[in-house]
Amino acid sequence: MVLAEDSYFVREGVRLLFDVADEIELVASVSDYPALLGAVEEHDPDVVLTDIRMPPTHTDEGIQAARTLRESHPGIGVLVLSQYVDPDYALRLFEDGTQGRGYLLKERVSDVEQVVRAIQDVNGGGSAIDPQVVDALVEARSKGPSPLDELTPRESEVLEHLAQGKTNAGIAEDLVLSERAIEKHINNIFSKLGLTPESETNRRVRAVLMYLSEGGG
Amino acid sequence: MTLDTVRVLIVDDQAAFRSAARLVVEMAEGFEVVGEAETAEDGLSQLQALSPDLVLMDVNLPGMDGLEATRRIVAGQGPPVVLVLSTYSSGDYEDRAVDAGAAAFISKSDFDPFSLQEAWESAQAS
Repeated sequence: MVLAEDSYFVREGVRLLFDVADEIELVASVSDYPALLGAVEEHDPDVVLTDIRMPPTHTDEGIQAARTLRESHPGIGVLVLSQYVDPDYALRLFEDGTQGRGYLLKERVSDVEQVVRAIQDVNGGGSAIDPQVVDALVEARSKGPSPLDELTPRESEVLEHLAQGKTNAGIAEDLVLSERAIEKHINNIFSKLGLTPESETNRRVRAVLMYLSEGGG
Repeated sequence: MTLDTVRVLIVDDQAAFRSAARLVVEMAEGFEVVGEAETAEDGLSQLQALSPDLVLMDVNLPGMDGLEATRRIVAGQGPPVVLVLSTYSSGDYEDRAVDAGAAAFISKSDFDPFSLQEAWESAQAS
């Protein structure tokens, strides 16, 4: 694993934390975005654990890394650590698919088992999402029975395919249905999950996050 | 070590973060670590023996939390300066830490030799 974190204290803390976790071998720890990309080239890690805000711009380097690596190194899992619950970062992280991507709050770092589990999840091509982030993203995910239970078996199947990052055309091909039928199913899913119209991408990601947060995928 | 060295007690339940805090404290000129505690209770009992000048207190501790421990420390006689450290963002805990009697709250992401020195100096000035 490669670790990218600009705070010396957190970087050292996480490094020392993984010294005792046999499952994780830390091959490099770096403090900015260019060094992260360099370490990936040099070590070809299975997983990158990265802060979001780092030099040079202290804005969203961790999200940029996740998106860049999706193109350049699709096999590498990326777990993003965030100081804050910021739905926009999470949406952007999962926008091009949830496979091998994770978003955890930094406060979870004190629970090494949880972090190791999340690292293993993204390493295996799965995803890891902090429940607090899902709560912030999906207002409809309130108490009471899950709206996911309202979905028909076919709609659940479509949602499962959405969670795999497939396009409508890809889902249509897999399920041997027309694209128009898939669109209809997706609109029903949005409506049943209480996802109000906004940007199409956001609704897709929110639906997928609800699915994943309740143990799907 | 000089007479002016600031003597620091670290309270954090994670060994890794106690060690990382020790690295930061030792990088700061004029500071030395005199003790480490895993729990608030242990920290309070070491206070008597060590008489540190400064306590670095984590918020989330098993048993008594860092805010309650801070209250108890500052209620004592000639208390040390307490700096509350947390992985939580400052918005959540800053006011509560200061209400509990901490000189300052420092997010773990911002904790380095400079923020340590700055917090110590502003505590001395107030």
